[in-house]
Amino acid sequence: MPDETASFKSPVLNTYTIVEGAELQLIDESSKSKFVIRAAPGTPARASLAQVFAGSRRSNDVLIAGTRPDEWMLLGPSEPVHRRIAELPEGGHVSVVDWTHGRAQFRLTGTAATRTLEKVCSLDWSDAMMPDGAVTSGSVAMVTCDLIRSDVDSTPSYLILCDRSFGQYLFDALIDAGDEFGLSVG
Amino acid sequence: MTLSRLPQQSGEVIDRTQPLTFTWNGRPATGFAGDTIASAVAADGNRIMSRSMKYHRPRGLLTADYWDPNGFVQVGDEPNVRSAHRLLEQGLTVEPQNVWPSLEYDVKSANQLVGRFLSPGFYYKTFTRPQKLWPAYAKVLTQFAPGGTVDIDSSMDYFDKRYTHPDVVVAGGGPAGLASATAAAEAGASVLLVEHEHHLGGHLRWGSDADRAVAAELERAARAADVEILSDSTVTGRYEDNWLGIVQRSHPIASERLIKARAKTLIVAAGLIERPYVFYGNDRPGVMLSGAVRRLINMYAVKPGTRAVVFTANESGDAAIADLERAGVEIAAVVDGRKGEQIHSTKGSQKKIEQVKVGLGDSYVDADLCVTAVGWTAPTSLLNMSGDRPVYDPSAARFFPAQTPDNVLATGGLVGDGSVEELVEHGRETGLLAAGRAAAIKHRLQAATIRATDVSGAEPEMPIDARGALERRPHPELYRSTTHGIVDYSEDVSSKDLVSAAKEGYDSVELLKRYTTATMGPAQGKLETVNTVAVLAEARGETIAEVGTTIWRPPYAPLTLGALAGRIFEPERVSSIQPWHEANGATPILAGQWIRSEHYGDPQAEVRNVRQNVGIIDVTPLGKLDLQGPDTPKLLNLLYTNKWSKLSVGSVRYGIMCAEDGVVLDDGVTGRLSENRWLMTTTSSGAGTIWEWAENWLQTEHPDWDVHVTPVTTAFTSINIAGPNARTLLARLTDVDLSSDAFDYMHVRTGAVAGIEDCIMWRIGFTGELSFEIHVPAGYGLHVWETLMAEGSDLGIAPFGLEAQRIMRLEKGHFIVGQDTDGLTKAPTTGLNALIKMDKDDFVGKPELGWSLEADLPILVSVQMSDPTIVPPEASQIVRPGTNEILGRITSSRYSPTIEKSIGLAQVPAELSAAGTEVTIVLTNGDRTTATVMEHHAHFDPEGSRLRA
Repeated sequence: MPDETASFKSPVLNTYTIVEGAELQLIDESSKSKFVIRAAPGTPARASLAQVFAGSRRSNDVLIAGTRPDEWMLLGPSEPVHRRIAELPEGGHVSVVDWTHGRAQFRLTGTAATRTLEKVCSLDWSDAMMPDGAVTSGSVAMVTCDLIRSDVDSTPSYLILCDRSFGQYLFDALIDAGDEFGLSVG
Repeated sequence: MTLSRLPQQSGEVIDRTQPLTFTWNGRPATGFAGDTIASAVAADGNRIMSRSMKYHRPRGLLTADYWDPNGFVQVGDEPNVRSAHRLLEQGLTVEPQNVWPSLEYDVKSANQLVGRFLSPGFYYKTFTRPQKLWPAYAKVLTQFAPGGTVDIDSSMDYFDKRYTHPDVVVAGGGPAGLASATAAAEAGASVLLVEHEHHLGGHLRWGSDADRAVAAELERAARAADVEILSDSTVTGRYEDNWLGIVQRSHPIASERLIKARAKTLIVAAGLIERPYVFYGNDRPGVMLSGAVRRLINMYAVKPGTRAVVFTANESGDAAIADLERAGVEIAAVVDGRKGEQIHSTKGSQKKIEQVKVGLGDSYVDADLCVTAVGWTAPTSLLNMSGDRPVYDPSAARFFPAQTPDNVLATGGLVGDGSVEELVEHGRETGLLAAGRAAAIKHRLQAATIRATDVSGAEPEMPIDARGALERRPHPELYRSTTHGIVDYSEDVSSKDLVSAAKEGYDSVELLKRYTTATMGPAQGKLETVNTVAVLAEARGETIAEVGTTIWRPPYAPLTLGALAGRIFEPERVSSIQPWHEANGATPILAGQWIRSEHYGDPQAEVRNVRQNVGIIDVTPLGKLDLQGPDTPKLLNLLYTNKWSKLSVGSVRYGIMCAEDGVVLDDGVTGRLSENRWLMTTTSSGAGTIWEWAENWLQTEHPDWDVHVTPVTTAFTSINIAGPNARTLLARLTDVDLSSDAFDYMHVRTGAVAGIEDCIMWRIGFTGELSFEIHVPAGYGLHVWETLMAEGSDLGIAPFGLEAQRIMRLEKGHFIVGQDTDGLTKAPTTGLNALIKMDKDDFVGKPELGWSLEADLPILVSVQMSDPTIVPPEASQIVRPGTNEILGRITSSRYSPTIEKSIGLAQVPAELSAAGTEVTIVLTNGDRTTATVMEHHAHFDPEGSRLRA
């Protein structure tokens, strides 16, 4: 276990004014657990994950996202994510890598979230092409990201994950992009 | 003063409750909110707005809109502002451009006196010989360069970018455009409407009260249908698959925003642009188009003159007469082009019209205003960019679209004439068609995109075009009178110039354009193209259809370089320790996208401290790949040149990777963490490349291998602890047995460091010292670094940066891929032939390396300069003594504080690679120095006793 004096440090270190309940919110969720699982076809783990590529679903506080044809990400609080990992059935070629420290994770929520992303990403964010639950990857402010639409109470919400080293840069780029829509750090 | 502000007009867009003060031409002036700069200047009684480019002739408003070629002004430090479009703001300083000493008396107008010698191509012909005089020519010509003044100290504006994927984009917010947008939106399409001007409604805005009521209703309907409307914005270009560039000029947070829109269907409703008439004196201030006087009177309440001659051939001219009369302008004469009547020329001073000669006789009419309404240019630019080649119809005296792709539709004045109701109906039908086609395209896209919402059923049929046609009303072909006049106001090109050029042989329209620069000014042909073609046709004795036209290319309207650049995204990467580096005086250096610490004040001292005590360096950017799966040794054997099958758990091995051509691609160490897990490190710059390289081989050549490669570069914060006290220091923070017996050189262990679990420790080194490279879960990287610094205080710990590391690795003779190698360096050059195992079944580059091992390749050698005070710059050439024959180069060089010598690595031919050989090096100042080739790559501790301590 970590030293008692040690605390997890997010890649986002600048200080921001926190605004609760803002119409458009950007939340740093980098401390949440993130595991990447790769499973060969026919493996029991793959069947257990039961999530097709480019989609996602929530299961007992764990978001299971099909990020590549043979790759999934499990996102969420540490305990349920670790439990879900432990429950993966053995057999066949399966790899599990803890990406908690390797990826920054941000949640952008609000009716203007799509307009904000349109300023930094060339993807089609319409409901038809990126419905709730959809998973894709793309360049956000010139940084390669995994992108998951994960609405909150029917409000558009997007999880944006990038390499940890880009975290501060991307967080600031999103704040800049959302400024005209009244984005606040939540 | 003949121009003045009128009493309130029913359609005016100015707000008289908001007066604005500004300066024009050094004098105070007033206007109102809603005025353009030009309308305010005109309302203030000013007829001259600018001087022409070449002859510096006084110019007044011609079109009074975005395309006005005579309205370019300097606003503060911003040059080339379109005054007839830019809205007035409080306190603006507006100045005429390129005049001296003043707008009224411009010395450069003397150019007119030699105008007969400034024929087309004058510059090309005159200033080419003698070539040596060109600098002098350039110096003089620069004084005559048109345009405003760029202030290099002006603050950079903020530019923005946006991407959008609407179902339908409508270019043009006139009646047809608005109706089409509304119809498409009501049919379920997402619609983006882009209007060039500040106000919607097109020509209805400067029409009658009834016209404006229709415009208002059309706008209300569009907004109610949730059409996204961008005014003061332009679709600048249409590219493959309806990729559209849109520049949004009026935006609350940005000077300009470039929108890249991928539209499923594009509707072009750009309307028509009124065409000037070519006749003698047509550029005197006071000659205006009918649309200009209508805009000035109805929208800006500006009286454009006192006594007018109106040359009309259409309804716009007729309406202008009514507007002028209502505004109190005396109509001195109406010349009806539909009846074959003509105007011949204007007469007066250069600064204003005094008379207009009508007909062919000597009938002069006193007037200070000459209004022409002779027809229209169809701005088919976006259709051209869609592959269409418009066709000229002489009966209507304009071009019409011919054939557009399914996803591009045209409506409104571009395709025909009609009443407002007819234009609206055509627009409505176009909107419905566009929505239907967009739906079919959208269905296809969704079906092909796995993440998209499921679409069921067969793809909808692409709707056929069953729209009714708009009529083409007859219009006389009126382009040039019996006299010559200006064709291109922006470039000062006259019809006489065009005829002259045609006679010189530049008689194809594309050649004529480039030779004379006609149509190449800021109006980009909107006012000049058809007149140019007509004059050329006349000169060739052919029809306009036979001559054809130039092809309009992007941009439709000029846009700033700032808009094209947009937001500047420059991603930068930092490690979790970066806050510490910044707080402790590190000098940053950009390495790729990484911000790293070059040094903390004195790199030489940092070297000495590592050699004597202990130092730590942040090496997080080092590429790291997690490898899992039983076939991982196969992958390692394939990618590296050496053998990996027998790498035991807990061991680390160094290897080099080559491309298929045997050129060194990367190097690094890979350690086996457990039976089924390996950690590969790559160079910092090679991290992404090697991941893709591995995936490429796995996915294309060996999909049957059970190996998963996962990048984990920044999942770990990587710290190298180096120096004689490294073991003592690390031992204070971990329970792992670090003794040499338990943890020998080139081995790996896992365990807790500073209380942080799951750390990986390698016993390897790049510095030549006893060192441990630890990889810590990144969220705790700063904690471990700070703990190391605290725990090592009594051991002489100090951080060291990249520069110290570079010095130490050079002292040790380690090469760096990309620095000591290049795109031609094959593996044998590095001298590591023992790592090239030709007895392996296969590895990448093996066939090429087979002969390369026997070839006469350059050799990487270590050198010491004969003069220890001289450190040759890296890339200094090694030459044959007494000649300039290049034999090799210095690839790395530094002064070594450890051995107090100037040292380096060099690539030399085999003949110079023997120890003791003296090589000659050319310095940047041309001087020469010598160096001696050493026996070992390592200048320091060649036996490796220190790192194996």
